[in-house]
Order: sequence, then C-alpha cells, then structure tokens
Amino acid sequence: MEIAKKILKVKVNGRPYEMLIKPKTTLLQLLRNDLGLTGAKQACMDNSCGACTVIVDKMAVKACSVLALQVNGREVTTVEGLASRDGKLHPLQQTFLDFHAFQCGFCTPGKLMSAKAMLDENLHPNEEDIRRDMEGNLCRCTGYKQYIDAIKAVAQKKEGAK
Amino acid sequence: MTEYSVVGKPLPRVDGIAKLTGQAKYTTDIVLPDMVYAKLLRSPHPHAKIISIDISKAEKLPGVEAVITGKDTFGIRYGFVDTPNYPAEERPLAEDKVRFVGEAVAAVAAVDPDIAEDALDLIEVEYDPLPAVFDPEEAMKDGAPQIHGEITRSTSCAWEDWGVARKSHSYTPVNNVASRVLISYGDIEKGFAEADYIREDRFWSPATSHMAMEPHAIVANYNPFTGKLDVWLNHMAYELKRYWLSKTLGIPIQKIRVHQTYIGGAFGGKAVIFDFEVIAGFLSRKLGRPVKIVLTREEVFSSCRNSIRFDTTVKTGVKKDGTIVAQDVKVIVDAGAYKGSAAVAMFLSHQFSEPCYNRRNVRHEGVAVYTNKNFGFAKRGHGAPQNRFAVDSQIDMICEDLGLDPVEVILKNLRKKGDVLPNGDKLESYGLPKCVQLAADAIDWKQKRGTQRDKNRGVGIGINGMFSGSGYWPFACAAIVRLNHDGTVTLMEGDCEFGQGADTTYSQIAAEELGLPLEDVNLISGDSELCPMNYSNFLSGGMFVGGGAVYYAAYDLRQKMLKVASELLKVGPEDLDMKNRSVFIKARPEKSLTFGEILRYSIQKHLGDPLIGIGYKKAVPEIEFYPSLSKGTGRFTDAYGLAAATAEVEVDRETGRVKVLKICIADDCGYEINPASIYGQMVSQAVMGMGDALLEEVIDEGGRVINPNLVDYEIPRAFDVPEIMVLNGCDYEPKGPFGGKEAGECARAAVIPAIANAIYDAVGVRVHRVPITPEKLLNALKGKEGRR
Amino acid sequence: MRDFEYLPTKTIKEACSLISQYKEEGKILAGGQSLITLLRQKLISPSYLIDIKGISELNYITFDEKNGLRMGALTTHRAIEKSPIIQKKYNVLSEMEKSVASVQTRNWGTIGGNLCSADPIGDPAPSLIALSAKIKIVSSRGGKTIPLDEFFTDYFTTLLEPDEILTEIQLPSPVAHTGVVYMKFSTIEAGIKIVSTSISITLESDRRTCKDAKIVMSAVAPVPFNAKKAGNLMAGKKINDDLIAEAAQLASEETNPTPDVHASAEFRREIANVLVKRAIKQAFEKAKIA
Repeated sequence: MEIAKKILKVKVNGRPYEMLIKPKTTLLQLLRNDLGLTGAKQACMDNSCGACTVIVDKMAVKACSVLALQVNGREVTTVEGLASRDGKLHPLQQTFLDFHAFQCGFCTPGKLMSAKAMLDENLHPNEEDIRRDMEGNLCRCTGYKQYIDAIKAVAQKKEGAK
Repeated sequence: MTEYSVVGKPLPRVDGIAKLTGQAKYTTDIVLPDMVYAKLLRSPHPHAKIISIDISKAEKLPGVEAVITGKDTFGIRYGFVDTPNYPAEERPLAEDKVRFVGEAVAAVAAVDPDIAEDALDLIEVEYDPLPAVFDPEEAMKDGAPQIHGEITRSTSCAWEDWGVARKSHSYTPVNNVASRVLISYGDIEKGFAEADYIREDRFWSPATSHMAMEPHAIVANYNPFTGKLDVWLNHMAYELKRYWLSKTLGIPIQKIRVHQTYIGGAFGGKAVIFDFEVIAGFLSRKLGRPVKIVLTREEVFSSCRNSIRFDTTVKTGVKKDGTIVAQDVKVIVDAGAYKGSAAVAMFLSHQFSEPCYNRRNVRHEGVAVYTNKNFGFAKRGHGAPQNRFAVDSQIDMICEDLGLDPVEVILKNLRKKGDVLPNGDKLESYGLPKCVQLAADAIDWKQKRGTQRDKNRGVGIGINGMFSGSGYWPFACAAIVRLNHDGTVTLMEGDCEFGQGADTTYSQIAAEELGLPLEDVNLISGDSELCPMNYSNFLSGGMFVGGGAVYYAAYDLRQKMLKVASELLKVGPEDLDMKNRSVFIKARPEKSLTFGEILRYSIQKHLGDPLIGIGYKKAVPEIEFYPSLSKGTGRFTDAYGLAAATAEVEVDRETGRVKVLKICIADDCGYEINPASIYGQMVSQAVMGMGDALLEEVIDEGGRVINPNLVDYEIPRAFDVPEIMVLNGCDYEPKGPFGGKEAGECARAAVIPAIANAIYDAVGVRVHRVPITPEKLLNALKGKEGRR
Repeated sequence: MRDFEYLPTKTIKEACSLISQYKEEGKILAGGQSLITLLRQKLISPSYLIDIKGISELNYITFDEKNGLRMGALTTHRAIEKSPIIQKKYNVLSEMEKSVASVQTRNWGTIGGNLCSADPIGDPAPSLIALSAKIKIVSSRGGKTIPLDEFFTDYFTTLLEPDEILTEIQLPSPVAHTGVVYMKFSTIEAGIKIVSTSISITLESDRRTCKDAKIVMSAVAPVPFNAKKAGNLMAGKKINDDLIAEAAQLASEETNPTPDVHASAEFRREIANVLVKRAIKQAFEKAKIA
C-alpha cells in the first residue's frame, strides 16, 4: 500500500519548517536526515541511551522515540540551537569545555540538552537532583563525574547571579 | 624542574567547540550524494551448514541495488592474528557454514535502510544445523564438534610484505585448539619447593562489551573511474584498516583513503577490520556508489568483538612473609568461532603482570579454544583485567591465610625502578610503589582494612601494568610540523580522536616545544592521505609513540628554526631560546625574532626552505618485526604505564547488593601532559572497572546473546558513580615526550580486584566469577552461612 | 519500521470512532515510549496509527476529598511526579515516578500508555493497585470502570478490546492511618528492576492493628502481582516483626517469577521477601503517624 506523506509544521531552533514526510519518520530521522542537524545522535534505537535527546517545548525527549508528526506545531531545540549565532557558547557548553566534561563527544549533545531542560526547569538542583535527572543519558567515556561537576557549576553560577 | 607553559596544564580540549556545538562529524553523520544503505543478514544458528541461499526475491524488491553472499566474497580471509603458521580465518560472509549466531551470510544494498532491512526478510537460506559446542573444555574433548576444517592461506598475511621469508601454509586445528602460549622462566618446580605456602584458585572473567556510544559504522565510496576507495569509519589506527581493506579487496593501499572523522568511543573494540567494512567496500565497488552501513546495537553485541572470556587457574607459592617465589598460571580462553586476538590476550595477560610483581619462577600456559560463539578482541587492558582479577584476588586470599597485610605484601613483591624484566624490557620509570602507597593512604587503609565487617564495609586493593605501545608490525608513527607564514604551525599526525584527547595533548606537545600558545597549533589528524604513517593508537601507544613522534617533529622544526635564527642574530643556536612566539638570545632577551621573520629569511636565503619538522618514533627500537607471542620472548615495550587502585564498598547482606562508596586510583603515566585529560581517563576507568566488577557480562544461551541492548546489558549510570579520587603517582619516563607514557588503559584492571577484595573484606565471602552480581554474592553468603 | 497511516485525533469521540473502524489493524499511539521501539523492531506492524496524544481533554489531574484523584490517561509521568496535589496526597506515586525510566521518557510518556503496554516490570501499575485504583475504559459502544487490579491478563496483555481506549485513572481519597511505600531492587540505581513493591498498610485507630494491607509487586509474575494471601494474613492482626516476616515470606511464595537475563526465579523470590519485609516495616511506621 502506498502511504500518503503528511504535512509537518515545526519550528526547529527558531526556524519554521513546513514539509511533507512519511508518517513513520521519527523526530530523530527528521532532524538528522531531512534537516541535516546531526548533533542529536543515534546510538541505541530503543529508547535507552539518551544520545538523541532534544528539547520539545521545554521538555527533554528522546528524539528516536517520538514520531516527527507528533511534534507538529511545536518547537524543537537541538544542540545546534544552543550557542548564539555570533559564536558565543551557551554557559553549559562553555562550562563543559572548561571542565573537560566530554571525551569522545558522541553522547555530549544529548547530555547538554538534558542539562539545559533540567536547569531551565529547576533553578536550584543539588548534586542528587542532577544525577537523577541525567540518568537517561548513558556515557562510556567520562565516568560521568566531570560533567556532573560542570552542570553543578552552571547551576551555582546561575544561583549566584540571582 | 623545567617550567612549562603549555604541557602540564589542564587546557581545554581542542576538539571541544566541534563536539559541544554538534558540528563534530562522526561516521554515522556522513552522507554522500547518491549513497545507498546496506544491511547484513546474520545467522540464527550457532553451527550449521549452508545448503543454499536464494536471493532472487530480495533482488526483485524495488529499491534494492545489490545482494551478495559468500559466493561473491569467496576466499577473502583476514584476522588480527595472521601468521604463516596460523593464518587468519575470518571472512566477510559465510561460505560453506556458519559458526556462530550473528555471522554474516548475505548483504543487501538499497536506496534506504528500511528497504534493505525488508529485503533481508526475503532472502531464503536453507541451513542444515550441526551439533554445536559452547564450552571450551567440552570443545577440547575428542569427539566434540569440529568448528574449523582446514584453514587455508589467508589473503591478508603481512609477513611477506615485511620481508619475512616464510611462506604461509594451511593447517587444521586439532580438538578445536585455536592457539597456545607457553611462557616460562626460572625453575617453577624449585620455586614451589622453596615456598612455605602454596594456593591454587580458579577465576572466571566473562565477555563484556566495549559499549562505545557510537555503533560501528562505515561509509565506503569507490570511484570506478579512478579506482580509488574513500572510507569514513570507526578505527583506532588508519593504517590497520587501510591495510586490511587493501588486502581483502585487492585495492592498492595508495588508492585507499581513510578520512578524518571523530570516533564515538573505541576502548580497543574498533581496531580490527570487521565483516561489514569489507562488505561496504565490496558493495561500493560493485555499484560504483557510496555505501553506508551502521550496525544496530544488537549487531554490535552479537557480531562485533567483545572482551575475551578467560578461565584462569593461578597457583602461587610464597614465603612466610608473603614473598612470591613461584607462580603458575593456566588460562583457558573461550575464543569463540574465530580466534580473534585470543593468542595475544593470553600472552598479554602474562606480560602485563611482569612489571607488577617479581615472581621469580614463572610458568604461564594458555590455550584458546574454538566454540560456537561470538569471538573476542582487546578491550581496555587486553588480558590484564582478566588476569589481575585472578592474581590480585589470590594475593588477598594468601594474605588472609597467612595473616599478612595485602598492601605490605604487594609492596614487598613489586619490581624496582631500573629492573630489567626477563624478556629484556627495562623499567626506566616505575611509579608503582608510590601508586600503591598513595592509593592505600587515600582509602585510609590502615584504619579501615579488616575493621568494618560489623558494618558490612570493606576495603580492597589491586594493581596493574600496561604497555605504552608495542612491537606489533610495524608499530611506529610519524609526524610533520610545518611553519606557517604567520608564525603559527600546522601539525600533521595520524592518530584518530576517539575521546582519549590525542588531538589536544599532541597539540600541547608541539606548542610547548616551539614556544607557542596552544591556539597557534593548527591540527590535521586522522586522515591517511594528509598525515604520515600512523600505527600508535592501540596497545596504549598513543602518547608514547604518537605523541613521541609529534615531539620529535616539533624538536626537528625547533632545531631548524634555531639554526636559521642563529644566522640572523649572529650567535650560536645554543645561545638561543624559543618562547612566546619568538626566538631570542638567552642573555639578551630583547634581541628576538618572530617565527614569521625566521620563515621569510629561510625562504629567501635557503633555496626556499619553508622549514618543516619531521619526527618519528617506534614503540621498541630493537624489534624489527614481531616478538614471539607464543613463547613470550623478545622486547615488547619501552615504557610501562602503572596503576594501583583501592576501593571501599558496603554490602547489603540480605540482597547481595554491593554499593561502591569510594574508588581511589593512583596512576603512573610518566608525566601529565594535560592533567584534566588524565583525570578524565582515570575516572572513566574507575567507573568502567566498577561495571566489570559488579554488572557487566554479555550473556549467551545456546550461542545467542540474550542481552544485546543497553537495557539488558547494564553499565553504570550517573547516579551510581561513587566518590572517586585520582592521585598522581607519576615517575618521569626518560623516553617519553616530556616524560609521558600510557594512561588510558592500565587502571581499569586494578579497579576490578580492588572491588572484589573490598567485598571480601566487608563480608568474608569471595565470588570467583565477575561480575559479582547481587545474586552471585547472595548465594555465596548463603553458602558460607549454611543457609539452604 | 513498516509504513502506516498516521491519524491524529483531537477528541475522544474521534479516536473511538477511528479505532472501532480499524480494530486490530489500528493501534493507539499515546506517548509511544514503548510503542515506537516495538514498531522499529517490527514486533507490531499496524496499518493505522491513531495518535491520541493531542486529545487535551485526556490530560488532567483533579482532586477532591469526596471523589479522590482523577487523572486523564494522557497525563505524563513527569506531570504525576511533579504534581503538588499528588505529592501531598499520594506521595508514593510521585516517589515511584522518579524511578520510571528516564526524565526524557517521563516527559513524553503517559500513564495510560504505560498501563496499556502492560509490561510486568512497570512500576506505576503496582503503586496504583496498592492505592486501589480504578480505570475508565470507553469505546463507541459505551464506557465502564473497573479495578486496575483486574485489567492485566498476561505478559503485555490486558482486558482492553481492540476498539477500546483507557481514558482515566481514579484513586479514592486517602484513608486515615494509612502508610504507602514504594521500594525497588535493581542492580544499579536506574537499572532494570529485579523486583519492586508498593505496599499500603491501613491501621485501626489503635495504630497497631492492621485493618487492611495491600502488597503489590512488579516483575514477579506475568502481570503486576497483588499478593492477596499475604495481605489477608495481615488484616486484623497486630503488626510486629514476626507478622511482617510471615507476610513477606507468604508474599514471596505467592509470586510466580520468570527467570531472565537479570535474575533467576529463585533470586527474585528472595528479593521479593526482603523487599516486602522492609517495605511493610516502613509503611507501618508511616501509617502510625498518618
């Protein structure tokens, strides 16, 4: 049976898109294959690793486990939308850089997006909150410590600025 | 000590911006015009004859571009161990029979991955199942199913290429024995006769997954007009992949280019060539189009290499005071369907022990046995984690029996700085005694050891040693540093960046030697066409060999620049120094030249010489080809990395669950070129070692992996990470760049026995098989307490 | 993944009409946190995917003392975890939700979808059963309300007919002198649960005698497992360590675990015993001061 493509309207990193896609297209496939935004990674394909984490309307979600058509009318932010266009890194990116909070970097975009969603929602996370909220992001290189420390530092800085 | 301005500093990584903004390209991100996607059909049987394969329906599916089977790739052979006596036996697609669940039998290329996958369902393979064998001891018995018949000459043996005039020949394994090693020195009988106390114990380490976050992937693009094959793939030294692609596909090496990509983690698991990589190249040539293959996580677990299954029996004789006088180690490796690196691992499990204890009289015997399971390869420490778990657990047991303190006994038995090992390797740097002391103090050993059983808490210790690169053909590396018009430099060095920080630390080395800030080093790495020869990024040769080559290249450029500057400044080169982007007279620092001025002068006055530095380094200068793995003779490395680890745990006696409270790692990496990077490597190994000790095992049932995903194969997550302390046990390595050597692999193996021994200290029972899961520990506790 | 027609819906009525039209050929998609993986693995291949996530009338949490709590089936796990009223009145639910998969999954996944996927290792069902949950099911044929405890029939199987949709979860108001506790056992903190239990203990006004006990477990049977014998054993008795040990033993004997890659059946039983014992103790302590 020939499946009709459907219209998807979505804003990604502030830019509006309107396109025809196959219904089975996942959000991750949309971003990586149709929009060329390869920051979100495909690592497990069964909703278990978090490398594909992006933000949909302020919520961190795993793009591999959401159909693209389900974000119709919504706003998606990927790691490519984190830094400002003039080349200034987001505080999370800058602190990850300062703290050596990544190694191979494959899972890093997902971690950054999880961390951003968490910090946008929770102004005062303690270390336990951070560790719990980052449970969905697997990492094999770092042993987690340096990026937990980095997120903590960003949170503290934010608090200090208040 | 010299004041350095770039090395020794925790500078931000040079790959940071790319990786943090999502711009870094990994193989999985590569898309080429007109690209097709391939998928592999894999065997559901552990052992079966292939009667027939019907691909006609798959070929007819719209969107399918090519379907190939073992008939197309017939005769192609390759493998990591590939010698005239023991030719490699791996093949891209099964020919006559399949030998494990997950072996590739056919491949489909199609315009989209879903179509390729649908086409796999249309391939009809008729199998005739054969009796299979999964246990190595069963497999060695007479009458067991024979997994291999005659193993013919391979297509990829390097020996003749390297001038070793020994013709390779075919052979037939007997009783499924894939390979043997026997290493001995001293007089083992006499040693045991002199011992006051002897213990013999048996330990098992399972297959574990490297579980690099990026699944294995390749993009291969064969150009039918030029005959050139461009590839983007996950690798750990492009020369290896390029060599094997050349040998398996019959494409000249200079026609194969491995492009730079970032690699999403490796841990040893991506160094070898895989079935799908050969297939991608084969299909691309067949179609004249780019072919992409990204493996599923299930394929990574079931069909790519995992760590090697070891069954280790250790017999150790000691004097009353704990001095080791003899050690007899017997290893049975459950190799799986192909031999992989089993022979190497058996050997390394011995050789990595050598810088640890002076055991005086040693026998180390290994046999690797074919079984109908997936086969193995190096994983972060290659043989050491398996061996240290056995040996350091047993040291702990001996200490318990004799009422001795393990830290004291370990210190008593360590080698000494300057020692020459039985194979000739010399310990010119040796920080292990310091590491042991640091790790013990950091865990509060004296107060905590043996005193916390009422709280079900305990502490334990383990140690390890590791090569800084070795004499695997032709383990050497070169680097080029060119001076640019603006006074910056461009460093060309082949090592790939798979997370270890090579791009950053190598740039630091070049910058330091040339008196430049880090940002003045432009880096071209990981591209086989732009960079010189590179074979250093495995067996922990990165810093020592690759970094060493960079150091010598920068040194070479420095000498050339000083020579030119001395002409301009009219003083001898020895009167000059180089710092802050300028060359100046030591006695009169105001008399200086910029690098741009030096370059200009050199071009004007020296026949256009643009000043290029060249450097190279070999892991072991004395070794021309291979040392003997099977006998363990010959030099292997010029510098050993060393580490000690301690751990504190708390056990829930009712459930068997172990909570790791703290891990301390003291590491001797010679010199910390980038301390933040070293810290990251140590934390990484602490957590990975914790996974090995408590969680990780690739489990199979009837040869089928039953936990081939990240839900069922559990690794530590953010919440499980204990307090980790990293301590600097460095001893300057005179042959290393700025004193640096191995850092990324050694400590993992020390963490495993540290945790196992801490568990014993906490509850008084010992589990001889890692991972020490709650279920195993609870059963052991019940056994001890006579419950059920 | 195989192709399918995608049918987004905005109202319950619309969804009911579509699913009654397609029945077995159709599949309801809520958050899809299990479903998308099943589709990718081709374990299911519906021709029509009816997306109900856009039905706003199924996304709510309300509470009043008389009727208790009502949650729309499309309430996300994260909303339950963060809901002030749930944190106050049914704290065990928000505590349990913290252990459900990952934040990402909790953000997008729904409570209704979770229950309908009927995975016996899921935690929400045992907690809800311990809280005496009922669920509302509708179809174009009408509607009904049943105890959640009766919903599950086998591994990944429920009473839901092909044309039915789960729309609401209902919890009675908390009863006085009741303590409810969720406890899990997994090898690593966020790992696969080898066993989890949700236990509700209600005391008589003497605060020592058990009036009612519900002991519900995950991952020890093909369905969320309500250890009724153990609960009945406790009812009417004064709670002490011996009774707790006896109930825990009985509860673990009632279970019917399947061995898998994570644990043998025997080990699951033993852990169930330990966990139930510990959780009853905690619930008892909570109930005393509730």
